[in-house]
Amino acid sequence: MKSKNFLYSQKVAPYIFVLPFILSFAIFWIYPLITAFTMSFQDIGAIKSDWVGLANYTKLLKDKVFMIAVSNSAKYMFFTLVLLIPFPMLFAVLMDSNIVKAKGVWKAILYMPALTSVVISGTLFRLMFTEYKTGQMNLISQALGFGTYKWLKNGWSGMLALLVVACWRWTGVNMLYFLSGLKAIDTSLYEAADIDGASAIQKFRYVTLPLLKPTTVYVLTISVYAGLSMFLESYMLWAGNSSPNNIGLTIVGYLYKRGIEKNDMGYACAVGVVLLVVALIINFVQLILNGTFKKEED
Amino acid sequence: MNKQKDLSHSPKRILFTVLGTGFYALLCAIIAFPLLAGLLASFRPGTELIRRGLSIDLDFSTMTLNNYKYLFGGNVDSQKYFMWYKNSLIITLVSVVLTLFICYFVAYGLTMYNFPLQNVLFTLVIATMMVPFEILMLPMYKEIIALHLIDTYTGVIITGLCSASTIFFFRQYLGGLPKDLLSAARIDGANEYYISVKIILPLTKPAFASMGILCAMGAWNSILWPLLVLKGAEKFTLPIGLNTLLTPYGNNYDVLIAGSMFGILPIFVIFLLFQRYIIDGMTAGAVKG
Amino acid sequence: MKRKLLSVLLSTAMTAALLTGCGGGAAQPAADAGDAAKEATETTEAVEEATEATEEVAEAADAVEEAAEEEIPTSTFGDPNGTHLEMWTFVELHGQHYGKMAEIWNEKNPDKAIEITCTTYPYGDMHTKLLTSLEAGTGAPDICDVEVGQFPNVVAGLDQWLIPLDDYCKDYMPTMVPARMETYQGEDGHYYGAPYHVGATAMFYNVAAMAEAMGISNDEVIKKIDSVVTWDDYVKLGEEYKAAIGDESKFWTSVDTGGTDWLWLAMAENGDDWTGGFEGPANCKLDSVKNMLTMQQDWLKSGLAMISPDGHVDLEAGFQNIMDKNIVSFPKALWYMSRFTNYMPEEKGNWYIAKCPVFKEGQKCSVGIGGTGTVVTAQSANTDLAAEFLCWAKMSDEGEQNIWDTLGFDVCNTAMWTQDSFAHDDNNQFNAFFINYPYDVLSSIGMDNIGKISVVAISPTINEYVCTTTLNEVLEDPDYSVDDALQELQDAVDMEQ
Repeated sequence: MKSKNFLYSQKVAPYIFVLPFILSFAIFWIYPLITAFTMSFQDIGAIKSDWVGLANYTKLLKDKVFMIAVSNSAKYMFFTLVLLIPFPMLFAVLMDSNIVKAKGVWKAILYMPALTSVVISGTLFRLMFTEYKTGQMNLISQALGFGTYKWLKNGWSGMLALLVVACWRWTGVNMLYFLSGLKAIDTSLYEAADIDGASAIQKFRYVTLPLLKPTTVYVLTISVYAGLSMFLESYMLWAGNSSPNNIGLTIVGYLYKRGIEKNDMGYACAVGVVLLVVALIINFVQLILNGTFKKEED
Repeated sequence: MNKQKDLSHSPKRILFTVLGTGFYALLCAIIAFPLLAGLLASFRPGTELIRRGLSIDLDFSTMTLNNYKYLFGGNVDSQKYFMWYKNSLIITLVSVVLTLFICYFVAYGLTMYNFPLQNVLFTLVIATMMVPFEILMLPMYKEIIALHLIDTYTGVIITGLCSASTIFFFRQYLGGLPKDLLSAARIDGANEYYISVKIILPLTKPAFASMGILCAMGAWNSILWPLLVLKGAEKFTLPIGLNTLLTPYGNNYDVLIAGSMFGILPIFVIFLLFQRYIIDGMTAGAVKG
Repeated sequence: MKRKLLSVLLSTAMTAALLTGCGGGAAQPAADAGDAAKEATETTEAVEEATEATEEVAEAADAVEEAAEEEIPTSTFGDPNGTHLEMWTFVELHGQHYGKMAEIWNEKNPDKAIEITCTTYPYGDMHTKLLTSLEAGTGAPDICDVEVGQFPNVVAGLDQWLIPLDDYCKDYMPTMVPARMETYQGEDGHYYGAPYHVGATAMFYNVAAMAEAMGISNDEVIKKIDSVVTWDDYVKLGEEYKAAIGDESKFWTSVDTGGTDWLWLAMAENGDDWTGGFEGPANCKLDSVKNMLTMQQDWLKSGLAMISPDGHVDLEAGFQNIMDKNIVSFPKALWYMSRFTNYMPEEKGNWYIAKCPVFKEGQKCSVGIGGTGTVVTAQSANTDLAAEFLCWAKMSDEGEQNIWDTLGFDVCNTAMWTQDSFAHDDNNQFNAFFINYPYDVLSSIGMDNIGKISVVAISPTINEYVCTTTLNEVLEDPDYSVDDALQELQDAVDMEQ
């Protein structure tokens, strides 16, 4: 009887709940993480590997191409945060209101892009952004009298293309997060606000926004990493991992270049560790500032 | 500025509705454009796509059903396509259901209690989200071999069951629920596990629904890990199979585009099934009960 | 067909049933837990079970999958009783080549019958998977295609990873194009890969478009093309065409910002190699490269050439550009023939293939570009048989015949080039597509005039910098100093060596 009570106690129950994570972490994560970390201090050859200490990291600091990759990824992350958090949130609030008809249709269309594989959507966008005259972007610019433009050969327009793909794919998904977050808000709060005579904007500011915070923090956290680690979109847009003057190169693209294309796993792991550290720092600062680690006061 | 709920036929109200709905119509038209272009391309021969680029004109003279006839034609390629389709369906359904429940319980443990390792574990959850998979690939592959899970669907599914982002989402969602529910249930004598399944879980339907859609998307489109674990074309998933049509020796657009377009279907069905639950949730004031 | 769909639906239903079973399993204990007062024990067990169920369900999924398998379309060929070989490729047609060859092999060698399973993987991922399994020491196939750009990574493992093919290909060596065999050599001098094709670079000319613009007959155009020997001659003919057509938007050729083909050609003609081979070091500041780039800048300034849309001619926009007759000549490896047949069928009968122009008379006039070397891995249980079969399938008369018919490659065994039944077979789609016979061009070039640029560890670095930076600098801005651009390239390359 005692052992049963033990398992049912409030002290032990949480450990049983988190057990799958602990097991999965212990079995599938610890070994690969440690291996990857040690590999970043090695020169991994096909036949033998040597310890090189911090050489991979010092080389990384001097690597101009890596810096381009970091700056591209950082820019991309910044713009995706700006574009893919406030707008989907507003869209979700609007969708949740009673002034929109045929909601099901709009939602279905908005999620469709995310359901499409990157392979096909990347190809479609590559054809739309081609510098040849048949690309849709050039059809538009020709119609406006600007002639054709080399969209995927210039820094700003290359980034634009990446952001267009990002917004196209993720607006619907982020809206989905916010929609389910909105559903967690007790409707009686709005009723109370109505009685107090609050305007729609006031309701958004004082009820929706604060209560949507957990969802916003979630979207922010995953967007930071998703932005920093974007790769496939760039790979598909430029039909490979090489873009003119590296305008489409990202951190993971560079990792892929080193680790897979040149099979220099040691250096690639150093890139990966740097990405991990950067993403962790940004997210922990952000999570702590947002109070996500605060324990519930009982 | 008071928005009067009752005046649903006031001119202002109608104007708002037109604007709101019109806004979505416009947004969706833009979003749908590439999909429409892809859909039209799937009805044209690959050479036509190359000849004229991605064209959206409705020139029926160049449109045929040949790509789909080929896809459904019972030839070797079409047999393979449906074999991959089926494999992907199995992997997706199994991993979505397992991931959702496991992640819910983990998040429940992390959110509903105060215990010493809480923040350490949460930190680990966040950290595992931030590791680029490419650097874990080789050691993870060795592990799967050591566990004799190579070339099995178990091997494909098992490493992703504790999905960090799903745990995190549930945690954020559960954190927003009122805590007095728990104490009330405990006073009534319910045990911890009963509370997690019977009282809290029903309140998280919207979270389950959106994570269900997300996990299904991820599982349906994932390629690198399944490809490392699986051997042989008869076990491949759809994205692996479709990607074999893109080669440096030329792309097979005929089947690729038609196959990809038809490949959206099951995941779209899953979406339609799940998204109804996002509308539920706490609207009925379930909390008060 | 209907049966297939049915089986898909059925398996979906089965899985769904399985899942509801699982869901029920999870809900059941929950309900029991509801009666906590009665039997509290089961709940905990249930939670544990749920965790265990994880694996069970996944295993069950494997079982369902196996049960649902009937008449799966495999890519297994040959004799089921023969020695089993596994083969990976990233081009389905390559797999079919081995399948067909296995059947011929079994007829000829009943004592050494084989059964071969060819699996097609996505291009990039196949190489990742191969390297991962070679590094892990397990899981690699017997035979594997390796794209030439990826070859340095794989051949780095030398005989610890791969089987040297020297002994197995020696019978064919006298007639094999030497440059192609050397492409797949390891650092130790052994041959580790068997080539599919030479990838000999030749000039493609749109004779029909030229004849129309210049108002002369096809034969007269061909006569003019045949008299082109040097780049100067090539430019003269181009100017003649430009003058005749008198259209600013039509060009003689297009230069690539995303491909190194022109530069490889220039190096091969002058006997240069920027990689420096295995000994290194790489030197990119070569006169041949500089001359080619300077010449291309002049073409761009004079309006003779345009920049290939999206970087090179082997992309959708490149095909459109060709079909829109914006360019009427370009150099490309002979495997580009299949792009014509696959993507530009309307061009049938318009194009003529000729030798590439050279800087000075008497130079080599071609270079082998692209390609796939097939290797035998050391993990194979039947290395001997696998290597013997591979070399036969890729170098023998039977093998070369099938490569030409199904894959449309310029085969490496020169003995075939002059065989009338092989080179002049009008049933062959490529022979039928072009005005002249591709193998006549190859024979007129001759195996000794096909140069080679090494593909070694530094190659990806050079190619990448050239395609991302150098070519964009020099060609997008034709006034950019070629010397400066090459110096930057050299600096970037030196960082890595």
